Amino acid sequence: MFNLEPSIAEWRKQMLAGGIKIPVPLEELESHLREEIERQMKSGLNAQRAFEDAIQHIGKADMLKSEFEKVDAMKVANQLKRCRIIMLVCLGVESLFWTTCLLLKIGRFSEITAAQQMSGLAAVGVMILLASIGLLGHGPVILSRKVRDLICISNGRLVGLLWVWFFCYITEPVGFLFILPKFDGGPLWIMLPPAGILFGFIGGLEKAAWKKTAVADLSASQS
Amino acid sequence: MYRVSMIRKELVAASAEPLILSLLSKGESYGYAIIQEVKARSEGKLQWTDGMLYPVLHRMEQRGLIKSRWGESETGRKRKYYSLKKDGKTAMATHHEQWSLVHSVLAGLRKEQYV
Repeated sequence: MFNLEPSIAEWRKQMLAGGIKIPVPLEELESHLREEIERQMKSGLNAQRAFEDAIQHIGKADMLKSEFEKVDAMKVANQLKRCRIIMLVCLGVESLFWTTCLLLKIGRFSEITAAQQMSGLAAVGVMILLASIGLLGHGPVILSRKVRDLICISNGRLVGLLWVWFFCYITEPVGFLFILPKFDGGPLWIMLPPAGILFGFIGGLEKAAWKKTAVADLSASQS
Repeated sequence: MYRVSMIRKELVAASAEPLILSLLSKGESYGYAIIQEVKARSEGKLQWTDGMLYPVLHRMEQRGLIKSRWGESETGRKRKYYSLKKDGKTAMATHHEQWSLVHSVLAGLRKEQYV
């Protein structure tokens, strides 16, 4: 004897096993399935036939999965784009801030010599260079999404701390660098290149992973 | 009477986005209703594999053409409703323009065959 609800539950299991995710899109597909069964039964089919017709109309899990994977890839690409834009804006603001401070000799830079000024600008340049290398996706390849998220969150906090530290140093003597009597060029070399590495690392992690998987996909499709 | 055969899958795929946008321009709707309306308007000649509509809808949502919300049917069943966004209206206008152009070129060529 055919029983509709256990059959739908079994179909859900098959869809899950086939890689269709919950709640979306499986809930949406189930809602569709139920509407189709209801319509077919109203038009005179028995429950078993209506169910069989409806699951055939919906399509097989493997075929649907590959289409949904394309949507997921699009989501990742959008996230990557957003992350890189944020990193580029941060890098731009930070570079502009330090360049302006050095060129106009603002705050603690008021007494720097021309050589120290050049040294500071070179540190800014190195930061931009290091960040660019990372942002172009030449950084380490980490394929685990969770590990990448963890690195981004922890490094994001680190970048935040660096900003606070810099800000305190240049405006008010509350950072621990206040013990330095005056600027000697060193602090910028200590802080800016690592900041560049972090910017590049965070912004480039996704791109490096994406490049790696794209190459793997291409090789798989050609073999 | 000239009878239109089933539409080829390439054309079905290409027409999915403009059809969905045009249907949603009349008001919000959900997957099952969209499929039924397309079937009815094409007299069953335009057949989608039902499940394949959803990746298309999700992709359009990702691109910012449409938006969605969960709601309930009159019988209390969960449904995901889709509606058009501003970018979707612009995309729809572009589609209409391009499909009209293709149609007018085809119609013109067909007319010349009978001259």
